[in-house]
Amino acid sequence: MDLAKTESLDLPQAEPAKGGSVGAPRLTWMERAIVPAGVFLLLIGLPWLHPGYRLLSLAVSTGVNTIALCGLAILFGQAGIMSVGHAALMGVGAYAGAILARDLDMSFWAALPCAALLAAAVAGLVGLPSLRVGGHHFVIITFALCGLFTIVLTNGGAFTGAATGLDIAPIGTVFGVNFSKLQNLYLLAAAFVLASIGLMRLVMTSSYGRTLRSIRENETLAAALGVNVGLHKIVAFMISGAFAGVAGLVQVYFLQHISPDLYGAFPSVYIALMVMLGGPRMLLGPLMGAFIVTFLPEVLNLDPIDARIAYGVGLILVILLLPGGVMAGLAHLYLSCRRCVVRS
Amino acid sequence: MIALEVKGLRKTFGGVVALDGIDLAVGLDDIVGIVGPNGSGKTTLFNVVTGALKPSAGSVRWLGEEIGGMAAYQIARKGLVRTFQQAMSFPALTVRENALIAHEHGARSGTRAVVPDALLRFVGLDGREDEIAGSMPFGNLRRLGLALALAARPRLLLLDEPAAGLNDSETEQLAGIIRRLPGLGVGVCLIDHDMNLMTSICQRLIVLDFGAKIAEGRPEDVLNDRKVMEVYLGAPT
Repeated sequence: MDLAKTESLDLPQAEPAKGGSVGAPRLTWMERAIVPAGVFLLLIGLPWLHPGYRLLSLAVSTGVNTIALCGLAILFGQAGIMSVGHAALMGVGAYAGAILARDLDMSFWAALPCAALLAAAVAGLVGLPSLRVGGHHFVIITFALCGLFTIVLTNGGAFTGAATGLDIAPIGTVFGVNFSKLQNLYLLAAAFVLASIGLMRLVMTSSYGRTLRSIRENETLAAALGVNVGLHKIVAFMISGAFAGVAGLVQVYFLQHISPDLYGAFPSVYIALMVMLGGPRMLLGPLMGAFIVTFLPEVLNLDPIDARIAYGVGLILVILLLPGGVMAGLAHLYLSCRRCVVRS
Repeated sequence: MIALEVKGLRKTFGGVVALDGIDLAVGLDDIVGIVGPNGSGKTTLFNVVTGALKPSAGSVRWLGEEIGGMAAYQIARKGLVRTFQQAMSFPALTVRENALIAHEHGARSGTRAVVPDALLRFVGLDGREDEIAGSMPFGNLRRLGLALALAARPRLLLLDEPAAGLNDSETEQLAGIIRRLPGLGVGVCLIDHDMNLMTSICQRLIVLDFGAKIAEGRPEDVLNDRKVMEVYLGAPT
């Protein structure tokens, strides 16, 4: 098709836009950079603020969840596919790490690619038949995956440690850094969090992210324009699985003991809650979601039952009032404040 | 040269026969119109040809290759691209992102690649590249739908009621755009109920009724055909 010769054609103009400015809110690069920069400094600097042991371990838990959430944010925020089975994929990474260390004497670093690939492979196997149906069916199938995974682990005998689970030695000293110290383990988790957010940004800003968004926005149209919808759904699920596998591996070396109940349906629902709460389409949404869900019971002094009620109420409030999650809500709040200031 | 050749195409949903042995042929420099009453199988025909539905029987050949039963994205990548009755877009994305998606996928070879911005100018959406598609008025969404299909580098474009919901001046603009397509190497096959539009731009009309072709030929001949008049106006008593 040669459109060069159509330049001179007298083509009518499109209808003018109604109302004021439309489109994505515009932020200057300073405004864009200041929050990530602040978060970056806080993440790296936290150990030097002398937090107590309790706070620091909560921070590591937040980090572990954030890694998995970045993957789920790609799946849900970009491709529009919700999974409530992500704890099972974390479990694949965690058990892979523990079993590889026990049977093959594999270190954390050697197990890292194995955990990521294995979790991605499991995601691919589950996604292959189930992503063809999509929507609510997929949510239910991922939920069933969690139940199945727990049953397999509980009945796995000595191989999976049955209901008691498995123990693992700490990472130990690498290049003179002793990762048995919580402070250093925290920094390792923080590095993984930063890498996950970086990878998530890479996907979001690439043309691959655009392909995933086309599936989220209109599957039928995407297919009619040549997008291989089925393939990209499975690949997106496998990418999110790899993130979950890495998160599970970091988790097992942090907890040093894992059992099946860590990877059942309840933890999966928590992960889904976190991603919706934080903001699945926002770069810092996963961190925010993990932070809120991990720290809220601590800050408000809630017992586990009250915390569950609080999460439920919180989720309903977010869906009703902040459909884009807390981070998107904050961004909108900032923009409307700025508009008021500029006007006055 | 015949590019799309449909022979004995049947599509049944349970006991309902939606397409009852359709034959048709469309060339790459044609503008062919498909008309018929509601429920006569026009959209089903597009759905089966472009892979949204699997044919029950018969063959669909595109550039000499059997494509019946292939997936929708595979057919689109071969240069046979359709638009939809509803003005479809990727609503939360910007107009440029919409066009880029079609540009990055779409046909792999054939016609030369066109930058998406030139296409948006072609359909009259220049200056709106950064607007969110879902916030645009209906007429612009129709333009966008056409731009998306063109960005996928089609050799034959199947337009499903492109003028539905447009006012007279918008329909006139649309007709101008469609008339230019064969000259740009894009054949057109379109469904519409607007007979003024159809008779003014189509070289050939095909009339469907109850899933069967009842007439085919030049617009003025077809509309004077006795069977066609019966279908549209009822049998003479």
